[in-house]
Amino acid sequence: MRYGHKYVFLLPGLLVLIAILIFPVIFTVRLSLSGWNSYNPGLDFVGIKNYVRLFTSDPRFWEAFSRLAFFSLTTVFLQYILGFGLALLVWRDVLFKRFFRVLFLIPMMTTPVIMTVIWKTVFHESLGPVNDFLSMFGLTPLWLSDPMLSKVTVIIVEVWQWTPFMFLLLLAGLLSLPKEAFLAASIDGAGPLRKFIYVTFPLMAPISIGAIIIRLIEASKIMDTIYVLTSGGPGTSTETTSFYIFIKGLREFQMGYSAAMSFTYLIVMILSLTVIVNILIRVFIGRND
Amino acid sequence: MKRITVAVTSMLVGVTAAGIAAGDKWSDQFPHIKNTGDIAGECSYESMSQKDYSGQTLTINTHAVPVMGEPTALHAEQFSALTGAEVNVIHTPAGDLYSKAMIPFQAGQAPYDIVFGFSNFIRDWMAYLEPVPEYYVNMRQMQDVTKSHIDVASWDGTMMQFPIDGDRHYLKYRKDVIDNPELQAKYLAETGNELRVPQTWKEYAEIAAYFNGWDWDGDGELEYGSAEVMKKDDLMYAAFFSRSVAYAKNPATPGGFFFDLDTMTPLINSPGFVEALTDWVEAVNYVPPGGINFSLGDEINSFGGGQALFSFSWDDAFVAAMEDGSAIKNKVGVAPLPGADRVWNRETGAWDETYNQAPYIVWGWAAAVAKKSKNHELAFDYLCFFSNDANHQADIAIGRFGVNPFKKSDFVPDIYIERQGWDQQIAEEYTETLMDMEEKSTNRVFPLRVPGVFEFTSAVATGTSKALAGQLSPQEALDEVAAEWEAIIERVGVDNVREAYAVGVALEDNLR
Amino acid sequence: MRSFYITLKYLAIALWTAFVVGPFLWALSTSFKDFSSVTSGAKYIPWLQFKPTLEGWNVLWRTPARGGVDIAEPFMNSLMVTTLASAISIALGTLAAYALSRYTFKFGFVKNNDITFFFISQRIMPPVVLSIPFFIMLSKFGLLDTIAGLVTVYIVLLMPIAVWIMVDFFNKVPRELDETALIDGCNPFQAFFQVVLPNSIPGLVVATMFCLIFGWTDFFFSFILTFTEVQLLPVRIVALNSSITPWWSLSAAALISVAPLLLVAFVVERFLSKGNLSGALK
Repeated sequence: MRYGHKYVFLLPGLLVLIAILIFPVIFTVRLSLSGWNSYNPGLDFVGIKNYVRLFTSDPRFWEAFSRLAFFSLTTVFLQYILGFGLALLVWRDVLFKRFFRVLFLIPMMTTPVIMTVIWKTVFHESLGPVNDFLSMFGLTPLWLSDPMLSKVTVIIVEVWQWTPFMFLLLLAGLLSLPKEAFLAASIDGAGPLRKFIYVTFPLMAPISIGAIIIRLIEASKIMDTIYVLTSGGPGTSTETTSFYIFIKGLREFQMGYSAAMSFTYLIVMILSLTVIVNILIRVFIGRND
Repeated sequence: MKRITVAVTSMLVGVTAAGIAAGDKWSDQFPHIKNTGDIAGECSYESMSQKDYSGQTLTINTHAVPVMGEPTALHAEQFSALTGAEVNVIHTPAGDLYSKAMIPFQAGQAPYDIVFGFSNFIRDWMAYLEPVPEYYVNMRQMQDVTKSHIDVASWDGTMMQFPIDGDRHYLKYRKDVIDNPELQAKYLAETGNELRVPQTWKEYAEIAAYFNGWDWDGDGELEYGSAEVMKKDDLMYAAFFSRSVAYAKNPATPGGFFFDLDTMTPLINSPGFVEALTDWVEAVNYVPPGGINFSLGDEINSFGGGQALFSFSWDDAFVAAMEDGSAIKNKVGVAPLPGADRVWNRETGAWDETYNQAPYIVWGWAAAVAKKSKNHELAFDYLCFFSNDANHQADIAIGRFGVNPFKKSDFVPDIYIERQGWDQQIAEEYTETLMDMEEKSTNRVFPLRVPGVFEFTSAVATGTSKALAGQLSPQEALDEVAAEWEAIIERVGVDNVREAYAVGVALEDNLR
Repeated sequence: MRSFYITLKYLAIALWTAFVVGPFLWALSTSFKDFSSVTSGAKYIPWLQFKPTLEGWNVLWRTPARGGVDIAEPFMNSLMVTTLASAISIALGTLAAYALSRYTFKFGFVKNNDITFFFISQRIMPPVVLSIPFFIMLSKFGLLDTIAGLVTVYIVLLMPIAVWIMVDFFNKVPRELDETALIDGCNPFQAFFQVVLPNSIPGLVVATMFCLIFGWTDFFFSFILTFTEVQLLPVRIVALNSSITPWWSLSAAALISVAPLLLVAFVVERFLSKGNLSGALK
């Protein structure tokens, strides 16, 4: 009796998901084995030609992966630190904390496609406010047109947009922490820093890991920000894998090849995430046993 | 005899009076055409009002508002009022027009009766389009279209796209600088050269560099040499080609510009193109801050806003500059693209030391009817109405519409002088320059229109932008592009590309 | 020493607030500009530094025939699709998450963590290549350009988030609660709805917020899968993006599109403050 219930809970969601996904997934696999492009639509069969091409004659794909790793890891790391910090700041003992909590959520609620255009105007080298302010000090950094600096700009925009994600999750986590552990620590005479390291942080481990993983997945798909700000430029300095897949797929219409790239991307991501989860578990939980 | 004359005369008077009366009637109801009134023709307001399409629906996918988007919607509204048809218009950003049309087409559907796009989509989406029927091709309104634009809209003699707009790249410059005697004297004194409309790209570079980074028009802001489309997006390769044609289109070596037609070897890394890319890399020194990331919109903002001395891509920057309310209205001029003092000869493997200039008949807005649409007649009538004489004359007078001249009767200075307040000299310069490019040049380059065209142009965009960013030297960058082009040709099939490319080459070599 | 930390705290909050609010203020100011005030260098204060106009805002209500993009209908469409898809995703996802948190599953070698991972892995795939199959699939069922079609696709996007977050939050709710309820004579469903769920309000609220956000701000799928009948807000706003990027109307559009979610943020914050686990054990 008890065991029958578990299926009733799980299966509606799982089956609905599988039902909607099954055709697209199979189609995409089949697509990756075809040479579908703008002048040759249709599922002809070319075997693993796309994959061969991907692994042997497309260094640009793998270069894009290194940039992807750079962007994802940097932005998620920053978002975690900042998000946690902000959550701690407005958790308790602050004036107007409820107002700030709402305020800090807002950037996440903007539509990336639209908000990034606003950012483009903010960082516009001759007509935007940032350089207007900096020109008082004689500086006009090339936010969007310098290979190094454009990466920084992308990171700034991403951090602005998605730190609230971490912030919200971690705040919710903090708010649902059991008070007993803190009482015990206070009785033991622990100060705020010790309380954090030995009580708060370990208790927040599961949520932290979950949040980081989701953000890593989302951050890796970064598209709108790059598309609007730099189109992957200057040159290829801000081109990530997902952007490259987009170009090949929807601009050049090499759908078959794009599907092969997407699958490879999926596999690489799954492998990487598995490794990362293990690392995170050791960092967050292993140490505090 | 006398009675017949009287009868005929009174008939003519009657018809004319009726014509004038009809013109007034339509322009009262539709203020858009108030300057000309309705102009007679098979697709005039009068003619369309005779048609009854009530109960039928037309779906159009067009560009964002206002460029092309607003006129599409406006004419849709008018068409609907005249014929009773229901017209739905969707607006899509430029870069997505291709995918928004192709995905349904390739999935075997035609949700849109009419699709707007760029004219270089033609080879890719031709298979899904309905050719323009003879009836429309033979109309007087169509015969008025310049030869270049009929060619651009057609594939191997069949008109696949309906001409609704014309585009070209030309040089725009600040008259208040180039024609300014004080600055001319200053320039001569400091450089020993004459300040004039640049005849070559080298001269362009010299003048732009000189006028880069100081306030030469006294408005309290710094100005710069040139505003160009350098952002690695869907359009910058056209800017590169405009810079290349003078160095690489040699009238002495027909048989291909992008490829050698016989061998289908890419020519993109030949010395002519490399020289142009070298020029372009140098241009990074005389563009405004952030210029290397300028999209077309930024170029328009920059030149149209008075920040740059030169610009050379589509009409939009010029139009923006000449709008009422622009600080530089009537201070800008028009000239053909600069040429070069030497052009590469691929047969002799050396430079021909002669002056060479070639217009780049760049692609522009195009509209076409889907083959699977159930409303062919309705769709073609709409497009014909869109570009009827009255509408067209009104459209080209509204800068933000993005409709630029492409009919022979468009190149009349008065239109611009009276309706848009242009200076006479500028209007004449504009119409003459454009008309020459359209009708008179024999050394033209047509846009690349082969299968998989965007793979080729994307490779060019990536390569050139790497050179601009300093990641590679021009030669290395173009070698990379050439290698990619060869890979693409192999994937697409040499014969497929050659067959398509031959169509463009025939136009360039004036064989048709 | 303590007051030093307090000052530091407020300073940090102030800095971050400035960072968050800055772009919005800029957007607000820009929404009242026009071509000449945009191209003549950065300007901030209307009337003092530039002549303000309502053009940027008016464009959002005008029809395209007059140079505008009417956002009223897409706004409502977005509301409908987002709320429907979120509701379904949360409902199905929460149930599934509870199962994954409380019970052990074993389908061959596939265990709980694998199933959870399967859910979240749906978020990994970049949507580009999914455009053609989803297009074909929806057209076969006649769901192109319909609310139902979009909702179907959005469920795939949103359910994984719901599952992933709720699993975490359910794991925090001690099993003793469930067991106590069962001992007291509840069946598993009652245990879930009456005991566990009320104690997971923060998680539920957060998951709902994320579903709403990801649904409201999606551009890609609504772009590919709709034509004339059902247009969503981001697609309609982007219709302003022609050759000249209209800084002013896009700024206005950005501000408007944030508005509904702002309301949701207030609601979320309210619930967050209420749900606190420690009371439950008593």
